[in-house]
Amino acid sequence: MDKKFTTRMMAEIGAAVALAVVLNFLKLWRMPQGGSVSLEMLPILIIAFRWGAGAGMFSGLVYGLLQLMFGAYIIHPVQLIMDYPLPYMMLGTAGLFSIRENDTIKPLKIFWAVLAAGLLRLLVHILSGVIFFSSYAPKGQNVWVYSAVYNGSFLIPTIIVTYVVVLIVMKTLEKK
Amino acid sequence: MLKDITIGQYIARDSLVHSLDARIKIIITAVLIAALFMVDSFTGFGIFFLFLMVSILLSKLPVMRVIKGLKPILFLILLTLFIHVFLTGGGEVLWSWKFISIESNGVYTGFFMVTRIFLLIMFTSLLTLTTSPLKLTDGIEYILSPLKRFGVPASELSMMMTIALRFIPTLLEEADKIMKAQMARGADFESGNLIERAKSLVPLLVPLFISAFRRADELALAMESRCYRGGEGRTRLHEMKYHYTDFIALFIILCLSVLVSNF
Repeated sequence: MDKKFTTRMMAEIGAAVALAVVLNFLKLWRMPQGGSVSLEMLPILIIAFRWGAGAGMFSGLVYGLLQLMFGAYIIHPVQLIMDYPLPYMMLGTAGLFSIRENDTIKPLKIFWAVLAAGLLRLLVHILSGVIFFSSYAPKGQNVWVYSAVYNGSFLIPTIIVTYVVVLIVMKTLEKK
Repeated sequence: MLKDITIGQYIARDSLVHSLDARIKIIITAVLIAALFMVDSFTGFGIFFLFLMVSILLSKLPVMRVIKGLKPILFLILLTLFIHVFLTGGGEVLWSWKFISIESNGVYTGFFMVTRIFLLIMFTSLLTLTTSPLKLTDGIEYILSPLKRFGVPASELSMMMTIALRFIPTLLEEADKIMKAQMARGADFESGNLIERAKSLVPLLVPLFISAFRRADELALAMESRCYRGGEGRTRLHEMKYHYTDFIALFIILCLSVLVSNF
């Protein structure tokens, strides 16, 4: 067996991804043109903090593939990768940060981890938008601005909300 | 709140398209995506459209249900059309008013791009409409398995996907139960601003996480006590088997794609 994954890790990643799917149904806010704020990032981040960046990125991959199977909009082969597995895999990078000092969780360290992972996800979404428009829209449109505004409008609130909740949930889970 | 949720789009039917092997269907979809990018005339798209209609009929899916899948992407389609119609110039001027003009090249490219998007989305959703997520997971495992020698953990990936698929309904039910229990204690999940609403979910999230991780722990224990030790040499209850229809379907699509992309 691949030494990277213990059975327990695999079971936890599976359960965390299932949780992400469930949380994605609890929309906190919906944008008029698609895009919504939910806590789907939370379980993937918790796996990243618990088992490290590799496991975090893997759970992102599993989550992205499931979203793809549940009905994806594929309009370009590159967009397929950039819209589904890749942005969620980026969330796993939160696991690269150490979030503890003397065994207690530091809010500021979690903040940087969530921010970095969230911004990487945003970056991939922006790039995906640019690729879509450069292959379907006429040249000369300001695609970067449009894509950044569209994706940022729901991802930045998502990052803030996720940070607030991840902090409370991690602290509470620690006590139990 | 969490009741009446359908996960995924799969519609079970007893049809030819449903019974095709998941691996073949994934490959066919990839071939079709590539072919749709090579087509550069409406004749080519027309042939693919006819082929799409035949596939939908063969799959015995309700046509309206399939078309409805386009609704969330309608905005994008219309936007693409309008941008081209108004901004792409060249060719004959069809209509003009002050600084706005519609030129024939713009109309042509607009409809061309929209047709491509439409066909891409229809063919790819046909895959998820006619193949259950579990079969797709198995298909992905088979297709990725040649990469195992480069260290891609294909079996582990599909095992995690399968575990997640198994847990989704359980955790949905659990979330619903916890929400009702907290609401009975006076919890309010609906009001307040974004951060307040997110914070109000904490009484749901903590029990839900604890329960999910407890279940994962029990599952890992059960798997190990049944001697699970990764994908190597694992056997399955339902082996995937190719039938001759799978190869016929693949052959037809390859021929069609090669012919049409030369139009």
